[in-house]
Amino acid sequence: MLLSALLASVEHGLNRVLRLDSTALPRLAALDGKVIAVDCRNPALQLFILPSDDGLMLASHWLNEADCTLRAPASSLLQLALSQDKTAVLHSPQVELEGDSGVLLDLVKVLQDLELDWEYELSRWLGPVATQLIAGHLRSRASWTRQGVASFNQNLSEYLAEEARTLVGKREAEARFSELDELKIDIERLEARIERLARSLNSSDNA
Amino acid sequence: MNDQRKGSDAEPTTHFGFKNVPESQKADKVAEVFHSVAAKYDLMNDVLSGGMHRLWKRFAIELSGVRAGNRVLDIAGGTGDLTRKFSHLVGPTGQVVLADINASMLKVGRDRLLDLGVAGNVEFVQADAEKLPFPDNHFDCVTIAFGLRNVTHKEDALRSMLRVLKPGGRLLVLEFSKPTNTLMSKAYDAYSFAFMPLMGKLITNDAESYRYLAESIRMHPDQETLKAMMVDAGFDRVTYHNMTSGIVALHRGIKP
Repeated sequence: MLLSALLASVEHGLNRVLRLDSTALPRLAALDGKVIAVDCRNPALQLFILPSDDGLMLASHWLNEADCTLRAPASSLLQLALSQDKTAVLHSPQVELEGDSGVLLDLVKVLQDLELDWEYELSRWLGPVATQLIAGHLRSRASWTRQGVASFNQNLSEYLAEEARTLVGKREAEARFSELDELKIDIERLEARIERLARSLNSSDNA
Repeated sequence: MNDQRKGSDAEPTTHFGFKNVPESQKADKVAEVFHSVAAKYDLMNDVLSGGMHRLWKRFAIELSGVRAGNRVLDIAGGTGDLTRKFSHLVGPTGQVVLADINASMLKVGRDRLLDLGVAGNVEFVQADAEKLPFPDNHFDCVTIAFGLRNVTHKEDALRSMLRVLKPGGRLLVLEFSKPTNTLMSKAYDAYSFAFMPLMGKLITNDAESYRYLAESIRMHPDQETLKAMMVDAGFDRVTYHNMTSGIVALHRGIKP
């Protein structure tokens, strides 16, 4: 019952977020009637996801057979929930997929492509004028912060690599790595040559 | 559990809460209660159960095994909580029938579902659970949530539900039951005989209806008795799940 209550709350929150993207629910409608079982190992927990044009339904029990079963440890599932590149997580060795994996991949794609229209939600509460003012202000602040962070990163890396010489610069490091690679290949060639010589010496001794 | 208590020369009687009334009057008295509470039924459910009724119904849906294309009958469907979910699950190729004996409840349920955009695969039928107006072997799943205790002849209703189910079809009975924990039972008694009528008085100005609700819960068969009644009616593989320490139980039976 506790798990049901938790799932009901998560489902409610998730569906509110999904409704913020006008394309998410029509895309989920294509998966209507499909059942995805999520089998969490360590800790053992099973839940079922049922997509529909109304959002996602999360269930702790489901009698019908699942179209796709995802088996993974909790850490991988958490990574799947938080990661930007969810498809890469699905292909990791700890994750097992059984059944029609297309269903899960489609669902993951819908979640990955979410573009939430926060302004619309805000305008429902504050009205269009106030939302426009707040959103404009927030956008300019966000853009200023992004530029500031990028400029700080660039200055810091330049200082550490070029002026303080504490770290090796990116291009310098790449040049060294490529020299090391060449050296490694040369050594391997030399090793092969020595081996060939040794083999020819052995065969002449035997003769 | 037999509802019929025949006097020597009088009309058979049945319980209406803690009172005994002639059988012919029970349906009218129950109807009066639900006509009175229909408008604020959802609000009262949330207030009195602390929102728990949503979780109980959710569990019933999880165990229903309903899938796309199924035909579902939601008896005593009231304001349509289960019908709404079933409508999504069965999809455009399935069908959900919301049946209720009470016209006021059915009207509230129909308006609510239409307002929520639930239409197309839902039908509304005013019907008596004891004499369901549907063909034999018609539904994949029949549910009755918080309705069976108001039915005058429960055995007849169960047999009627069995008749309309397809072989292999499921009946789910969600109903108040007997708490399994003594302490919980005492707290629950205090809650239902003091708090429920008070809230009924405050919100719907109708303490009597909520006193009936509390009394009818006590008169309803407990988990094992209802299970035996379902087996007697002809259901197979009857099981029940207690929820919230047995305050509510979900019984499930399969038509052989």
